[in-house]
Amino acid sequence: MKFAHLADCHIGAWRDPKLRAVSNKAFEIAIDKCIEEKVDFVLIAGDLFNTSLPSIESLKIAATKFRELKDNDIPVYAIAGSHDFSPSGKTLIDVLESAGLLVNVAKGRIIEDESDKSKSRLMLDFTVDKKTGAKITGLLGKRGMLDRIYYEALDLANLESESGFKIFMFHTALTELKPKDLEKMDSAPISFLPKRFEYYAGGHVHIAADVNMEEAGYKNVVYPGPLFPNNFSEIEKLKHGGFYIYDNGLLIFKEVKLHETVCIESDCGHKTPQAVEQMLRDSINGISKESELNKTPGLNNAIVTIRLSGKLEAGKISEINLNEIFDLFYNSGAYFVMKNTNALETTQLTEITIDASKPEEIEENLVREHIGKIKVSAFESSGNETERNDKEKRITQELLVSLGNERGEGEKVADFENRVREEVKRILDI
Amino acid sequence: MADNIANSNNSVNSINNTTLKSKGLVISGEFGKIILRQRSGENIELGELLVADTLTGKIILQAYDLFYGSQISQQNLELVSGLKLEYSDNQELEFMDPKLRNYTLAALKPMIATDHTSAKLCKLLPDFFSSVREITKDDLKFLTLERINNPLYVGKLRSGSKMLDVDIFLPGDKVFSHHILIPAQTGKGKSNLASIILWNQVDKDYCGILVLDPHDEYYGRAGIGLKDHPQKQNVAYYTPKNPPPGAKTLVVNIRDIKPGHFYGTVEWSDPQLEGMTSYFREYGVNWIEAIIQERPLSGNIRYNEATIAVLRRRLLSMLDLEYSNNKLYCGGVFDLIAGQTTIKDICNELEQAKTVIIDTSSFGGSAEILIGSLVASEIFSRYKYYKLNGLIDQKPVISVILEEAPRVLGKEVLERGSNIFGTIAREGRKFKVGLTAITQLPSLIPREILANMNTKIILGIEMAPERQAIIDSASQDLSTDNRNIAALDKGEAIITSNFTKFATPIKIPLFEDVVRKTKAEHSLQNSGIKREFGGVNLQ
Repeated sequence: MKFAHLADCHIGAWRDPKLRAVSNKAFEIAIDKCIEEKVDFVLIAGDLFNTSLPSIESLKIAATKFRELKDNDIPVYAIAGSHDFSPSGKTLIDVLESAGLLVNVAKGRIIEDESDKSKSRLMLDFTVDKKTGAKITGLLGKRGMLDRIYYEALDLANLESESGFKIFMFHTALTELKPKDLEKMDSAPISFLPKRFEYYAGGHVHIAADVNMEEAGYKNVVYPGPLFPNNFSEIEKLKHGGFYIYDNGLLIFKEVKLHETVCIESDCGHKTPQAVEQMLRDSINGISKESELNKTPGLNNAIVTIRLSGKLEAGKISEINLNEIFDLFYNSGAYFVMKNTNALETTQLTEITIDASKPEEIEENLVREHIGKIKVSAFESSGNETERNDKEKRITQELLVSLGNERGEGEKVADFENRVREEVKRILDI
Repeated sequence: MADNIANSNNSVNSINNTTLKSKGLVISGEFGKIILRQRSGENIELGELLVADTLTGKIILQAYDLFYGSQISQQNLELVSGLKLEYSDNQELEFMDPKLRNYTLAALKPMIATDHTSAKLCKLLPDFFSSVREITKDDLKFLTLERINNPLYVGKLRSGSKMLDVDIFLPGDKVFSHHILIPAQTGKGKSNLASIILWNQVDKDYCGILVLDPHDEYYGRAGIGLKDHPQKQNVAYYTPKNPPPGAKTLVVNIRDIKPGHFYGTVEWSDPQLEGMTSYFREYGVNWIEAIIQERPLSGNIRYNEATIAVLRRRLLSMLDLEYSNNKLYCGGVFDLIAGQTTIKDICNELEQAKTVIIDTSSFGGSAEILIGSLVASEIFSRYKYYKLNGLIDQKPVISVILEEAPRVLGKEVLERGSNIFGTIAREGRKFKVGLTAITQLPSLIPREILANMNTKIILGIEMAPERQAIIDSASQDLSTDNRNIAALDKGEAIITSNFTKFATPIKIPLFEDVVRKTKAEHSLQNSGIKREFGGVNLQ
């Protein structure tokens, strides 16, 4: 059995057209590699798109490549991720499924407990791959760990008792596999997943890792990470994206590399703006010389990140002529240059900066800090304090997601307003 | 003399018109050893609480010894017993007024003096020939009137083997930060007591508790346990094997381990300790991998090959690692990829006043201590930082429950070198970090540390040296309680603490009963909020 495991494709990500093009191209290349490798099927563990209502361009890219897979008799099994799940419970994954381009494996039944509705169980069904007999199931991901209740209600016994080659797809951060820099990310313990499956296809956490925890009952727990880094710090950390291929028990990470990545990190402490400029010029020269010496691509066609930190000795941040520096990088052949000066300070003015590289974390922190500060009568009757807080957090996060959705391409203003209104009504249960 | 008796009785009766039956009269003794003649037909038990009413209030006394008294000479007693034994037809043979001539005497010690609303240490003797009676709930009003911050329920007041309907609470934040010692022999209810303490603390926000559980008994994976608590979201359970749904898999990243964490786990020679430190300096978080892969140290630092070979072998064994084909394989709790946030997660949970149970039942003592050491070091270092930056008051107290405490607090272990638990025992209370040490052998713990354990909940101990170690380091004078402690039955305990007015005898409820009762109460008030599963294609 040979299959590919992709996750966090984020088609349509990045505001900048050049980087968005790279991100979309990464998806196309990954699918091409799957066809080339003649895999039996492809798994996509959530966040196929960057938003729940992607652009026509993004949809076209996805549909075209899925069509190619279909033409090559390679089925696609997917789950919705936190980015492509709308608060109304709808996702473009369903549209692609209706078109016969993929199968959403998050399907099942509710086993009601008539005496206590809060104890209803979720029983998932398997989707069987006709060619290999692999049995695939999984759960969608939601932002802010709102999918936790799905796991808490999951009937594990029926999943664990099923025989055969089983794959579980999930789009959530597992506590045990969280990288150090994502320490504060909401996560669920791996014990929420059914045990003794052959493969656990994960998504959501942007790291590439495969782990065996056989004593705990889990083997081949895999996060492939994104196909292309999704923000500045991810470019620094990951450099490139990729996906996994499972080939008869062997796990192979396939890197998707479109551009070299050059990351420059400079401590500007006790330097003037002019000295910082000179330091960056020196960096360019140094990289170019090293590239000539070692016959490496250097800055040619590279994505460059510049992170500046520390306290300037004098002058303002704006006095660093970064435009000129950027031009120098472009003149040296760079494909794209980006900067981060969040940790750069001046003696003249202390700027308040927020690490904008993880908006979800900022939202999460703000919601957590403000819970219970505004009295909402609707929450007062919701059980004890913990339950009230959970409800407030869930509703706030769902509202943030819902109200953050932009008008879809071709969607009329009235339809958009109506859709938002309906979603808000559903969230607030009014 | 008859007048004296009448006067004495009258005076007490005039003070207290109680109808409670007298259990005896004070007849002699001294402060700390008051001799009471027991009324015939009454039974005074070892450890029983009694009350002597005085003009200004009451003195609460406790029986600590019982012995016989007789008006008949020893020679005559032996003669009568001989007649009874040797001549069966003389079975009816009896003294005249036997109840007056033969009786039981009890040695009592004053526990506390109370004036109904408050209590203080007793500094006076009850009147000669005072009538002493059974204690009642009313006599203990001062206990219920006293306001205790962050009360921690430990059981009901006990008088001998009888349980009184008076709940005993300790000031939880204080007793946890000033260390608790639970000494007891096997089968006397150590685990039951620890479970009761944990159960009652789960829904409180003043304390986070770390439990290193070598018998995997507190969570209740196979039976009842903390998983059955209505606020079970406040309980985090880490286990390396087959975690039940919602539990976390215990996996620790080897890059989180520093040389200091190994101190006290096993015995290291000085060159081995220096070797570990040198590798840590050179390779940072990758120091363990560097030793195992036999990477060189720079500069002039050289170690004997045998030293590094032993280090390598011990690290591979302790961490359950395997090195073959130039690749390091992880087989147990320690991993190269997973578990990067485990220690931090545990500390965060403790700071959120959660109860964190770590199932250490499946690995050896040294690995258990290593994991405990990792968590304890991190939390202690955080709390030191909080203290330094004035944030400590916002943080809950942390207590680390250590079973078989002499493994890390024993004299021999500490003589080999200090470890984090020894440091916490000595300095922890300044930083709101305490230990709850459970042991059968308190005598193995240095006196200095025993004295630092300001609350001792003593269960039955039959071994005299162990009792003596506890008595010598108790917060109250237990010099007369030797027999009391030996006679403690399962579930009976004596609390001696800087935070109680007297050494308090208690009866600890059975954990199963508490869980059953709570569950029955809770099942009547389920939330009933309907679960919804939007986004799943429902059939």
